This record gives sequence, C-alpha cells and structure tokens, in this order.
Amino acid sequence: MNGLTHVLTQVLVALFQVAAVAVGGPLLLGLMRKVRSRLEGRAGAPIHQPLLDLRKLFAKQRMRPRDSSWVFGAGPVVLVATVVAVTAVSPLVSASPPLGQSSDFFAVVFVLLLGSVLLALSALDTGTAFGGMGSSRSMTIGALCEPALLVAILAMAIAARTSNLPALVRVGISHPAVIASPARILALASFLVVILAESGRLPVDNPSTHLELTMIHEAMVLEYSGADLGLIILGESMRLVFLLGLFVNLFVPWGVADRPGVLFVGLGLLALVAKVCAVGATIAVFEVFTAKLRLFRLPELLAGGFVLALLGALTAVVR
Amino acid sequence: MNGATYSSFLEIAAGLVILCAFVTLWRRSLRAIVRTLAVQGMALGVVAIVLGVHRRDVVLIVVGCLVVLAKGLAIPTLVRRVLANEPMSRETSPLVNVPSSLVGAGALTFLAYGATRPVVALVSTSAGRLIPLGVATLLIGFFSMVVRRKAVSQIVGLLLVDNGIALVAFLATAGVPLLVELGASLDVLLVVVVLRVLAVQLWSKFAVLDLDQLQELHD
Amino acid sequence: MLAFVLLLVPAATGCVAAATPWRRWIGWLCTASLGFVLVTGVVLAVLVVHRPALSAFGGVLRVDALSAFMVIVIGAIGLLAVCQSVRYLEREVSSGRSSARRATLYSVLVQGFITAMLLAVVAGNVGVMWVAVEATTIITTFLVGYRRTRGALEASWKYVIICSVGIALAFLGTVLVYLAALHAGGVTHVSLQWTSLMSVAHHLDPGVMRLALALLVLGYGTKVGLAPMHSWLPDAHSQAPAPVSALMSGVLLTVAFYVLLRFKAVADGALGVGFSRMLFVTAGLLSLAVAASLLLSQRDYKRMLAYHSVEHMGLIALGAAAGTPLAIAAVLLHVLGHGLAKAVLFLASGEILIVEGTTEIDQVKALLARRPALGGVFAFGLVTLLGLPPFSLFISELNMLRAEVHVGLGWVAAISLVLMAVIFGSVMSHGRHMLFGARPDGEVAHKSPLNVSVPLIGGLVACGAIGVLAWPLDTLLRAAAMVVVK
Repeated sequence: MNGLTHVLTQVLVALFQVAAVAVGGPLLLGLMRKVRSRLEGRAGAPIHQPLLDLRKLFAKQRMRPRDSSWVFGAGPVVLVATVVAVTAVSPLVSASPPLGQSSDFFAVVFVLLLGSVLLALSALDTGTAFGGMGSSRSMTIGALCEPALLVAILAMAIAARTSNLPALVRVGISHPAVIASPARILALASFLVVILAESGRLPVDNPSTHLELTMIHEAMVLEYSGADLGLIILGESMRLVFLLGLFVNLFVPWGVADRPGVLFVGLGLLALVAKVCAVGATIAVFEVFTAKLRLFRLPELLAGGFVLALLGALTAVVR
Repeated sequence: MNGATYSSFLEIAAGLVILCAFVTLWRRSLRAIVRTLAVQGMALGVVAIVLGVHRRDVVLIVVGCLVVLAKGLAIPTLVRRVLANEPMSRETSPLVNVPSSLVGAGALTFLAYGATRPVVALVSTSAGRLIPLGVATLLIGFFSMVVRRKAVSQIVGLLLVDNGIALVAFLATAGVPLLVELGASLDVLLVVVVLRVLAVQLWSKFAVLDLDQLQELHD
Repeated sequence: MLAFVLLLVPAATGCVAAATPWRRWIGWLCTASLGFVLVTGVVLAVLVVHRPALSAFGGVLRVDALSAFMVIVIGAIGLLAVCQSVRYLEREVSSGRSSARRATLYSVLVQGFITAMLLAVVAGNVGVMWVAVEATTIITTFLVGYRRTRGALEASWKYVIICSVGIALAFLGTVLVYLAALHAGGVTHVSLQWTSLMSVAHHLDPGVMRLALALLVLGYGTKVGLAPMHSWLPDAHSQAPAPVSALMSGVLLTVAFYVLLRFKAVADGALGVGFSRMLFVTAGLLSLAVAASLLLSQRDYKRMLAYHSVEHMGLIALGAAAGTPLAIAAVLLHVLGHGLAKAVLFLASGEILIVEGTTEIDQVKALLARRPALGGVFAFGLVTLLGLPPFSLFISELNMLRAEVHVGLGWVAAISLVLMAVIFGSVMSHGRHMLFGARPDGEVAHKSPLNVSVPLIGGLVACGAIGVLAWPLDTLLRAAAMVVVK
C-alpha cells in the first residue's frame, strides 16, 4: 500500500508540475507581450490573452494541405509530448523531482531536439516554399546551437562531476561558490544565447513578424490551423518556460524545494514563477531595444555562444 | 581575505580579461571594441590589486591602481580620439570571418594551455593556474593584428598582446620589480601616443586609415 | 661613475639641442658628444680588459669587456653618422624641406637614441636593458618617419607595430627568466641582475628556460632583423634619412643582438648549448635565405643595403650559434666591421640620393665616371661588405666559418657559403649597374665636397685598418668573448 501511495504521490506531483508549466507557458507569453506593449506606449492585450487564443483555436476546424502525410499531423503532437515528458522529470519546482532521479541533462536536450526536428520535417511535409525555407533556417540555427548547448552542459557537468540534472541543481544549493565559478557563469551565458536562439526570440527571430521572408520559426507553422496550431503554440510556450526554468534553477537556485512536503513544493512553485517572470520580463525589455540580426550575421552570434561555452569547459577542466 | 574568496576574485578578474579578448574578435563596431579594451584594462588592474591585498604588498596595490588608470582609462581615450577622425568605424570584411576567428581563438587558448605547462608546474599556486589565460590573450592579440585591416584594429591587437603579457607578469611573479613594471606600463602608453600621432598624420595628410591602402612599400 | 658620465653627455647634449633652434654649431656639438663617447669607450676598454667589471649604483650600471666593446662600436658608428647628419640637416633646412624646429627634433631624438643605446649596453640589469631597447623603438619611430612622405609614414607605422610586438614578447621572455630565477632560490632584490642570473643559471628550470629563450629570440630577434621578423627592416631603412639608416643598421641591430647574447649565456648555463644553437642556426639560415632570395630582384639601392643587413645579422646569428670563444670574438669583430662599412654605404647612398634624386638602381649609372670620389667610396664599401680582404669582414667571416666547422656545424657553414655566393652575385650585378659605364658627353666629373668624402673614406680606412692590424682589439675581443662563453 505504501508503495502504491508513494508512486501515486510521485505521479501527482509530476502532473502538477506539467500542469503548472502548461498554464504558465501561455501566461508567460502574455506577460512578455504586455511588457513589450507597455514599453512601446500601448496598453496591450491582457496577460491571459494567449490562453483565450488557445481556447479559441482548439474549437476551430483543422485543415491540412492535400499532399501532406502523417508527419504533418505528428509534428505538433510530438512537440507537445516531448516537452511534457521532460517537464515531468525535471527539477523545476523541487530539487528532487519524484520521477526524475535519473534524468540526465544530455538526455533532456536530445528529447527536446526530437520535437524540433519533427516540427521541421512536418514543415517540409507541407510542400510549400515557405515551409522549406523555415525548416532549413531553423535547422541551421539548431546545428549551430546544439554544439554550444552540449559544451555548456559539459562545462557544468565537469565542474559538478555529474550530468544528472537534479544533482546539478542541488550542487548549486549546497555550494553557492560553485555558481560564481567562471565555468558556470560562462556556461550559463552560453545557455542564455542558446535559449534565445532555440525559442525564436529577438535578436535571432522576431516572433511577431508578419513578413514571411524574415520568418524562421513562424514560416514553419504557416500551414497549421485549429487544434494543431493550438498545440504548437502551447508546445513552444511550454518549451520556453521549461528552458527558462532550468536556467534560473541552475543560476539562482534559492527557493527550489529540496525537502518533501506540500509547503516546500508550494514555495518552490512560487519561487519558480517569480524567477521565470523576472527573466521573461528582462528578455522582453531587451527585445524592445534590439533589432533582428541579419541571417548572415547569425553564425557570428552563435559562434560567440559556442566559444563562451568552450571557455567555460576549459576553465572547468583546468581547475 | 581568505583563500577561497581570493581565488574566486582572481579567477573572475582573469576570466574577464580573456573574455574581453574574445569579445574584441566578436564585435565589429570599433567603438565597442575600444570599450571592451577599457574593461579589460580595469580587470587587469583588479587582478594586481587582488594579488596585492592577498600578499599585503602595498607596492603591488599601487601598481594595480596605476594600471587601472593607464590601461583602463588613458589608453582607450587616446585610441577613441584616433577613431574620432574616421567616418567608417566598423571593421568590415576581416581576412578571417568572425565565426572562424572565434573558433581559431578557442584553438589558440588550448595551445596556450599546452605551451605553458612547464610554467604552471613551476608556479604551483592558485594564481599560477591562470597564467595560460594571459598567454592566450597574447596569442589572440597577435591573431587579431594579423587578420584585421583597420589601423585601429592593429592598435587594439597590440594592446591585447601587452595586456596578456602584463597578466602573466602579475600572476607569475606578483609583478616584476617596480622599475621594470613602470617602464612596461609607461612604454605601452607611449606606444599608443606614437601610434596616435602616426595615425593622425596618416589621416590628415593622406586620408588613409585602412591598412589595405598602405601598400606602397613591398618587394 | 665613468659609465654614468658616459650616459650624461649625450643626454645633456640633447637637452642643449632642445633648448635652441637648430644651428650648425649644434650639429658640431652633437658630433663632439659622440666623439666623447668613442674616447670614453676606449678608456673603459683599457680599464676593464684585465679586470672583471666596473660597477656603479649598486650594480644598475655595469661595464665589462663586452659592454666596453659595444660602447666603442656605438661611438665609432655614431660619430660617422652624426658627422654626416650635420650636412644632411643643413641641406634640409636650407632647401626648405624641413624647418629649424624639425631639425632640432632630429638632433634631440638622435642624442636620445644614443643615450638609450648606451644605457642598454652599460646596464647590469636585464630589465633596464629591456626598458632602454623599448625607448629606442619609440625614438626611432619618429626618426624613420622624419621625411613625412607617405612611404615614410607607412614605414614608421609598420616599424612601430612589428617592433612593439617583438619588444612585448621579449618582455614576456624576461618575466619568465625572472620567474625561473625566483624559483631557483634567487633573492628578489637582485634577481634581474645579469650576474646573479649567471650565478644561478644551473638551477633554472629547463622547461621554463626553453620557453623563455624562444620568446627572447623571437622578441629581440625582431629588433635584430632576423627572419621571419625582418619585414620592417627594408621599409624602415629605405625610408629613413640616410644618417638614421646608418645608425639603425650599425648600432640598433647590434645592440639588440648584444642583449640576446647576454641571455644566451644564461640559457646555456641552464640548458646546455644545444637548444640555443638550434634556435640561432634556424634564425640565421632563414635570414640568409630570405636575403639571398630577395636581393636579386631589388630595384632600390637602399632596400638592397637593408636586405644586406639582414644577411649579415643572419651570419652573426650563425656565428653565435657556434658559441666558442673564437666564434664570439669573430662575431664581435664582424659587428664592428659591418657597422662601419654599412654606415659608410648608407651615408654614401644618402649622398647619391641628394645628387641623383632617385633611389632606383636603374636610374643611377656610371657613378665611377661621373663622381669619382662618391663612386669610389660606394664601390669600396660594397667590396668591404662582400667580405673581400684586406677588410675586417673577411677575417671575421672566415673565423666564424672555422668555428662553425669546429663545433660540428659544418653543414651550416656550407649552406651559408652557398647563400653568401648568391648574395655576392646579386650585389655585384647591382653595383656594376650603378658604378660602371661611360660618362655621358658634355658632363664633367664632379668632385664631392670634402666634408662628405673625408669621413666616408675615413670609415673605410678604419675598417681596413681593423682587418689588417687586429692587435689593438685582439685582447679586448678575447676578453669580451670570455664574458659570455664559459
């Protein structure tokens, strides 16, 4: 009986984490848009507007291009599925996630990558020119980002002697000096660049552009409608929250629940919400003052991110 | 200050020095590069000051303050004055493009770690472990002088070389004897003054600040 | 004390020159100060030849046989160059190409240059040596760009950039040597003294010393003009005014090499002769190869002379690689001979530039027929530099080759002979083009003014005299060589 309750509690906590991220994703999007609007002098839509948009989309009819295959339908589903899977096992609210004792940072990255790759494939599947263009640009960025991300994780892993994600967070809580170490600072700086690139924010990609030729991510989802589009928006926003949540937990781990108990989990949730909102608002402010980089200049930015990670790994190795 | 704090401060300051070296390869705007150089000079001074506080060596602290003033303020101001004459303040089309030069700089850092192993083995303190960062800055400065075309970029490369060497000098020996250190800092200042005079002459008489145009003398 | 006075005189002359606008008597005053330097050098040489060394200021200044010899070199070549500067400056001011203020600047800079060079050779502290060599880089930049033409500015830009990098590398090398000495149990206060470095040489960490010597050869080698760091040399020497080229070629390059020799002595104590030998052989052969390959296609006679300097610096490096007392003594003799002959040639080429108005070899013809004295000086100068007897370069080159064969570097000697033959051919062909030919009709043979020809001929005679009668210098050379070879 104890074993069953134990498993049930674990599953409940994991579901709770997923639900929090699922609701928080669109809310974060709404918050970022609100901050941007305010800075631009507009009143802006209410913060829960994306949730309303999602409800509207799920009620609408799906359409698919005539010559597309099952890949087109699979794209959004796999995207959301991968994000849900990693959210369930990652140390967002608690430093010892119930189902995620053995979740490895590298594995998390590769699972997320699965979602991105399938989305790119489904954009190709539409057979339109814009879909292909969006896919190729998105994969180029991915090809430049992934090495940076992996080396950044390597830097953090070498310093903490493990790539187990909860362990990395716990190391930050127990030894604060590790956070100030050059290896971790450089790795997290690189991580931030990668987050901006992967989630399609400025200066890599303008999420609110309507000019198709400047689109990277939006071009991939031009053909989606109805529930598919809803799933994609949900998946992307969850991914952003997830990555930002990991970032803040690795960089500023205070508040993360390191002991079991409803109070601590609640506190952890509040801390996570506060930190993610803070980072999200900062990114929104940064976006107001940045222009989108030319596509040819993107490799420079991403190479810089890679070199930051490389330096971090180097510093970690020679310590 | 206790050992751990001292180590962290030293690491962060030395790390900032090499990070600035990478940033000068990354940015294209010459004004941003000069600002980065100013930050690097100040970080270098902080390294000297931290070392001085740790060893309770007043001379070293004074030298550190002088370095902050000279390399963090005076020299970048002089270089910025050279830039004031030039309308095109971007480094366009260097010989090696930015991503490749960044990766090349990473390779040079590895090379620096390999080449200075005997030195690090000899100086087995926590400061000694950071010596390769100084050598890496030197190599990056060298690299930058070779692949950049603008006159100001060559001055920047020279200053990177000097900053790297100064970092090594501070970390390895807690500063060479004061006379020589002052001579070295003064020399950098004078070299920049000289270069500024030359650049001003080049610009005012011949409207040249792109080194590609200086091609008269060759075999 | 005497060494301090030695430094004081050119410095004071510089101050006097700065105070008043340029007149002819200032030029003669500068010449007199150089004469004083030469005489003091001889006196110092006599004093230290049978004694280890003279020290002043607690070892900051230290004169041993090697330093005294270098003072003589600086004095002799400087005297020649500054003497001709008077005429050069007079012409510049009277023709309106420079103002009196710039002539003052020139005199002050030259005196400052001489002071810095003297400081480098009489310093006992390798840090002070470094500071002095760095000071000369800054001073000579303005001298190289004196004419303010586009070519001169380009040359001085290249010069200051390349030499500053070199000097910075040399500083790093010095720091590493200091580091090694600190960890060998040296006392902080005197660790940068050359004598204390020599005394702990056997305890210096070999890995660090290898890195340090490589950096020092790269760094000071840049100022010496060894390939592949030589690219500033042709530009700087061809664009600078002729007396400045004479000074740089004769004095600057060799003082940088002197510092390198001092470090080589320390490194040999720590590492044995093998490593430094390899470095010097590589640099020397590379310099010879570069000079040989580029001399044939030269179109400018000043650049030709500059590449010739590169060749001789390569030969000196090879001689130093051999490392025996005979080799070092030959190297030092070569330094003096080459300095004098190259100074004479550069000054003659400056005169040719004034009278012919061009530095292209093609445009200058029949010098021997049209201007016998000048042409003769140039011809004899070329002959001297190519190492023909009875001039001193023949003896020094012969001895260097003998020493190289003796220590097992026979293949090096063979390669250098081949390259020297190639250079011989190129220079002879250029010289033949400039010197021989019939005088065009209607042109009368010009006589060069005495104040031009006499010093130049005097320089050549001195070169020959040293070659034939080695005895005044023999003891000094031997003592100087023993300073750096154990």
